[in-house]
Amino acid sequence: MNPILEVKNLSVVYESSGFNALQAVDHVSFALEAGEFVGLVGESGSGKSTLGLAITRLQKPPARTNGGQIFFRGKDIRELDAETLRQQRQGGFAMVLQSGMNALNPVRTIRNHFIDIFRAHGHVGKSGWDARQIELMEKVGLPKETLARFPGELSGGMRQRVSIALALSLEPQLMVFDEPTTALDVLVQQAIMDTIKSLQKSEGFTAVLISHDLGVVLESTQRVLVMHEGRIVEDAPSRDILENPQDEYTRMLLSHYADPRAEVVELPGFPDRAGRDTGGAARTAGATARDGRSSDSAIVVDHVSKVYPPPRRGEQAVTAVDDVSFTLEPGQSLALVGASGSGKSTIAKLITGIEKPTAGTVEFGRLDVAQLGRRQIRELHKNVQMIFQDPYSALNPLHTVEYTLTRPVVNFGGLRGPAARKRVLELLETVGLAPVEQFAAKLPHQLSGGQRQRVVIARALASNPQVLIADEPVSMLDVSLRAGVLALLEDLRAQWGVSMLYITHDLLSARLVTENIMVLNGGRVVERGNTAQVLQHPEDEYTIRLLDAVPNPARARGAAV
Amino acid sequence: MMYVLRRIGFFLLTLWAAVTLNFLLPRMMPGSPTDAAIAKLAQNGPVTDATRKAIEAQLGVPDGNIFEQYLGYLHQVITLDFGVSYTFYPQSVSEMVWQAFPYTVILVGFVTIIAFVLGTLIGVLTAWKRNTWLDALPTLTGSFASTFPYFWTALLLLFFLGYVLHLFPTSGAFGPTATPALTWDFFTDVLYHAALPALTILITSLGGWIIGMRNAMINTLGDDYVTFAEANGLKGRTVAIRYAARNAILPNLTGFGLALGGVVGGSVLVEQVFGYPGIGYLLFNAVIGQDYPLMQALFLMITVSVLIANFLVDIMYGVLDPRTRR
Repeated sequence: MNPILEVKNLSVVYESSGFNALQAVDHVSFALEAGEFVGLVGESGSGKSTLGLAITRLQKPPARTNGGQIFFRGKDIRELDAETLRQQRQGGFAMVLQSGMNALNPVRTIRNHFIDIFRAHGHVGKSGWDARQIELMEKVGLPKETLARFPGELSGGMRQRVSIALALSLEPQLMVFDEPTTALDVLVQQAIMDTIKSLQKSEGFTAVLISHDLGVVLESTQRVLVMHEGRIVEDAPSRDILENPQDEYTRMLLSHYADPRAEVVELPGFPDRAGRDTGGAARTAGATARDGRSSDSAIVVDHVSKVYPPPRRGEQAVTAVDDVSFTLEPGQSLALVGASGSGKSTIAKLITGIEKPTAGTVEFGRLDVAQLGRRQIRELHKNVQMIFQDPYSALNPLHTVEYTLTRPVVNFGGLRGPAARKRVLELLETVGLAPVEQFAAKLPHQLSGGQRQRVVIARALASNPQVLIADEPVSMLDVSLRAGVLALLEDLRAQWGVSMLYITHDLLSARLVTENIMVLNGGRVVERGNTAQVLQHPEDEYTIRLLDAVPNPARARGAAV
Repeated sequence: MMYVLRRIGFFLLTLWAAVTLNFLLPRMMPGSPTDAAIAKLAQNGPVTDATRKAIEAQLGVPDGNIFEQYLGYLHQVITLDFGVSYTFYPQSVSEMVWQAFPYTVILVGFVTIIAFVLGTLIGVLTAWKRNTWLDALPTLTGSFASTFPYFWTALLLLFFLGYVLHLFPTSGAFGPTATPALTWDFFTDVLYHAALPALTILITSLGGWIIGMRNAMINTLGDDYVTFAEANGLKGRTVAIRYAARNAILPNLTGFGLALGGVVGGSVLVEQVFGYPGIGYLLFNAVIGQDYPLMQALFLMITVSVLIANFLVDIMYGVLDPRTRR
């Protein structure tokens, strides 16, 4: 059988004036048989998205194909002129972009998006437009009323479904999905992947799934291409990748997956908790003694609710947090897990005094957070610090690391001159950014994502806080960088006695760095307890759903056997 | 519909605030027209109280407390009665403003709209064909022309097209032989006289619109929905206009609103240079002649026109951007 797509020695280069040319895709060759479902996996910067755009002829300057051929149904699409290429897109190859939320024109209704495509290709007669639109919406699981909406009126998951329906309307033989679920919530992610899988079966198109998440890819595809630094380092059936990975890099990626439900959970550089734990209380006592932390630095959340006024007139008020109580003792770590909208970030805002509870109280030591004046809030923030999700936007790109860290050292610590500088270097040492002098002088864009997140953590530590609130601190990082940052957080707690509220939807990381866990759904606590116990023996149906949504290569193996 | 009603409500509220400020501000300022007149007379000798009373009566200084004055003022505004001009006595202020208004609206208003439409279209073209000569030529000439001081361009055009080539008249809104009437002849004569000032405005403002639209559209061309539209094989024209340009124009509408609002107030220079009898010309003469009733009416009018322009742009936003319709 002839392959539907054959890529031979393809190279793509980024050429911007003033920068060195970057060979993003470097002599890549592979072939796809009709009906295959293939995964393309790699970390950020591996060239996977560039490759995806190149094989659908969507790349834009400064990217340029500088070698090789792309045969689609035997014809080199690099040689097609613009109009033939445009016509080719109907019944040829289609693309679903990474951020489905932004892939729709904000000023056109969904119906008009379909009509634009029908008009452009004329493959559906005008009398059949309505029926075809409704049929496509049904295929992706959306009600036909959605057609009259504007993109801004739909949720992220619905928009991604619309994108898939639009791509389907082209009746493509090859579909490329570029990170189709990345920015979406865990449960939505799983539902969309299910839709894609069943559509691939029922429609019979050949599919390429580009993702940074080997777990997601192994769960859905039959064959995986692993990309690293512009090259395909491994090309094998999914099962072989899982059971007998040949390449060093593939093995490294795989080693960062574990089942949060397992008896023993380990990652590279991260031994299982049971082996490390000598009992939280004893360590806490030691830490307290050493740092002279007072025991009244506990955070007590007592029957707290937060109700937001209705977003539009005539709608219901939004209850973000509903009667939640918990205590975070000094030196403890507590995970708050739940899908987006479960209220976990609102709780962080209530603790830091950014929002005031509608009912109940939040206490830090003896302070009632809601009653604090300006000066006391400042004192609170000295002791309770946040670590944000996105290290790329949490640092001012114009300031050096030293400046960023000097601000809190001066403002909270009251240090000046050489003393302040000494403290900054100490902080860098603590978060493992050595040689410290070099890192102090760097600007954010000279750092990797993991290094940036370490700077964010160092900034949070500058005031010598007693509580850290980490809001999805590793979700924006590549898998291989996550373990390091998690290990750092764990270290801070064990060595410095900092207590940590760890907010996440990622159950695996919660299992690694926390002792206790609270599962939130719709603002309510549905399950709580020891992290390992709750994840191994979940009782609430919602917790079970969250666990099922975790992409897990091992489970794919179970299904395959 | 809710959106339009809310916008109308907001418009009426700001209108009331502006009208009230126009009433309060002169009263809060130190000195008064009477004081100014008496100071002038005092240079020649002592001024009696009777003289002061006479001057006040002559200027129409209002009686009653400030609240009664305010009511009277509101009544005058609603009936468009702004009193009698000092410098063009006995003509009433409303009559003079009404005569000047059409010229300014036709000249500056119309040209501003044309400049916006033309500049936006060229901007779309340059962004779509970027890095070709179709981009470089309009962008370069546009930005070059818009760097000239406005009056200098005006003088250049007057000199070459007016004095040297005699292609266009050099001043006035219509010829000496024409009589204002709603006839075809008069209309073409007005257009003929408006050509040079219109050209000046066009030359100096077009570049800004081209570059604004070009930049906005280059941004939207990088947006995901444009890439996705291309991935779906939409025709180039559809992608350029319905996807890229359609979204790029939204931020430019704000600038357009400001420019429209500035039409009445910003026409002073152009009308002065070309001796064009519009609002700007009138305002200039009102300030020179210390014609307080005329000034007050013109200031109010400038404020109101800014408000109306903003209101229109708000409504346009509502039509063009579904996200604002909440």
